[in-house]
Amino acid sequence: MTRLLNKPLRAFILYSLVVLATSIPAYYLIIDYIWRLQLDEHNQLVSKKTQNELSTLSLNDTLLKQSIELWDRIQPGTVLEPVSQAEMRPDSIYTVLRPNKYDPDGYINRFRGLSTYFILHGKPYRLIVETNVEESDETIAAITVVTVFFFLLLLGGFIILNKRISVRLWKPFYRTLEKVQHFNLSRQQNIQFEDTSIKEFKELNDALQHLIEADMTAYRLQKEFTENASHELQTPLAIIRSKLDLLLQSSTLTNEQSDIIEQATRALSRVSRINRNLLLLARIENNQFADRQQIDLSGIVNENLLMLDEHLSNKGIEREKDIDDAIQITGNRTLVETMVSNLLLNAIRHSPAGGKIKVQLSARQLRISNSGNGPLKEDGLFQRFSNISHESPGSGLGLAIVKQVCNRYGWEVSYSYSQDFHVFTIRF
Amino acid sequence: MLIIEDEPELAASITDYLSGESYLCETAASFRQALEKINAFEYDCILLDLMLPGGNGLDILQEIKHRKREEGVIIISAKDAVEDKIKGLQIGADDYISKPFHLAELAARIYSLIRRKQFNNTNVLRQEEIEVNLLAKTVHVHGKVVNFTRKELDLLLYFMANRNRVVSKTALAEHLSGDIADMLDSHDFVYAHIKNLKKKLAEAGATNYLKTIYGSGYKWES
Repeated sequence: MTRLLNKPLRAFILYSLVVLATSIPAYYLIIDYIWRLQLDEHNQLVSKKTQNELSTLSLNDTLLKQSIELWDRIQPGTVLEPVSQAEMRPDSIYTVLRPNKYDPDGYINRFRGLSTYFILHGKPYRLIVETNVEESDETIAAITVVTVFFFLLLLGGFIILNKRISVRLWKPFYRTLEKVQHFNLSRQQNIQFEDTSIKEFKELNDALQHLIEADMTAYRLQKEFTENASHELQTPLAIIRSKLDLLLQSSTLTNEQSDIIEQATRALSRVSRINRNLLLLARIENNQFADRQQIDLSGIVNENLLMLDEHLSNKGIEREKDIDDAIQITGNRTLVETMVSNLLLNAIRHSPAGGKIKVQLSARQLRISNSGNGPLKEDGLFQRFSNISHESPGSGLGLAIVKQVCNRYGWEVSYSYSQDFHVFTIRF
Repeated sequence: MLIIEDEPELAASITDYLSGESYLCETAASFRQALEKINAFEYDCILLDLMLPGGNGLDILQEIKHRKREEGVIIISAKDAVEDKIKGLQIGADDYISKPFHLAELAARIYSLIRRKQFNNTNVLRQEEIEVNLLAKTVHVHGKVVNFTRKELDLLLYFMANRNRVVSKTALAEHLSGDIADMLDSHDFVYAHIKNLKKKLAEAGATNYLKTIYGSGYKWES
């Protein structure tokens, strides 16, 4: 993950690199153009001056010839020679690359030349003026060096500026982020954002505040709803149950009718249990089991197993236990008992007849395994009503309660399937 | 017996069931009414709903205890909250039962409470040849000791508390193991205990008072 500010930084750097890179040929072309223009002008001046001076000197042909030879020998970069009439051409400008005999290293040099023709004393002459120009590669190299230097300067500047901006400018943003990250909906504590003078951050904070408040209200209403709804259901459920009990006393019942009553009573028991569990979940979420005490977990597990012994043998389930003595944990007794009994009941309920359950308890973890046929879908296993099956109707809330209790005390509950056993582990 | 319960249908059911067990029941549907009745009469047992129109049931309990009255009090609550239960028992309630409950369960609690109060903790229940010593937790049939398990004794008392009433297997299962039986969806263990109970009573020469009704219920006839 890249930080937000590094994104524009990268773009800026890339952009300046492109700009500076394209500036290299641009500079070169301009410099070279100016240079050539300037040299052409210079060559033109030299040629004009030479022609003028020569024509103002009143020299005879022999002297002229001698002078020209002398000129040619000592004047660097110019060649003056007589040509035939047929060789006369219009003036021309050219660039040539050749070794310079005065260059000690004998490098190839670049020359800008002017070749001009004129008539002196009725005879045609050609004057060539050549001036050394900086070679293009040397120009390019020089420009590149300068450009790279400036690019590095920009790069350094960008990075330093970026750092300072990110520290100072984005401070309110990171503070907001930190607060939102530490926000816990179930704790129902509103966030107070710091004041900021930057419009965007202010808007962000306001929007977040709004969102959080709405969330908290929705969450609170939902919890209250669950609790109130479960509450309100208890009394009508009690009435139905009492009426069914009374109905059973009627002396004119047939076997069939009594069966119907029994079935209704059972279904009602299930509704009552679901309702009670919903209420329990809502209460855990509402922090109604705040007190903590040292609890003898070994004792709780053993007691639960003892209570379940009868049901285990009824179902022909073999039991294997490996429970360390005097394991103490801190928590609310009711919640811990509920958690243990839910896990054990779950194991028994989902064991096939003649299966086996294993209970292991050490200081670090509680592990309850039961034989099964194939792994469960882990997705949403600990969610409410995710795991209701028709073969073994539970309340659909047992594992959700286990998870909720674990969350509360920072324990970690996990499910795995190994060697034909469903394994539920709680790490303390 | 005073039933303080604001839900008339539930109060009616309780009255109906308990009247069949020859209890004399009165009802109070509000806080004020309840206080009036308590002031006017004495009862053996008071059933107290905590959420009442006009006040909290716990205040009524305070009032009863404040006057050092002898009535046994059973709290009936829809709240099922541990704090309420603890608070109620601390103030001096004798028992606590949460909604929804089986009437047979309520009858058993009342029966046990009244026995405790009336016989000053040394009570012996008698039904013809069967004698149950609640303190020693022993059963004699024709004067001879019969060894019952804790659960069998529990069942016997439950039936005696609900004599001549049909008790469903579900109610028995819930009485014996709370939620467990229900969650495991197996009520067969009830049958096993009842079979043993009947067998032991029969072997000791007792009359068969326990009848199976409609296949899924039981009735202790006396």
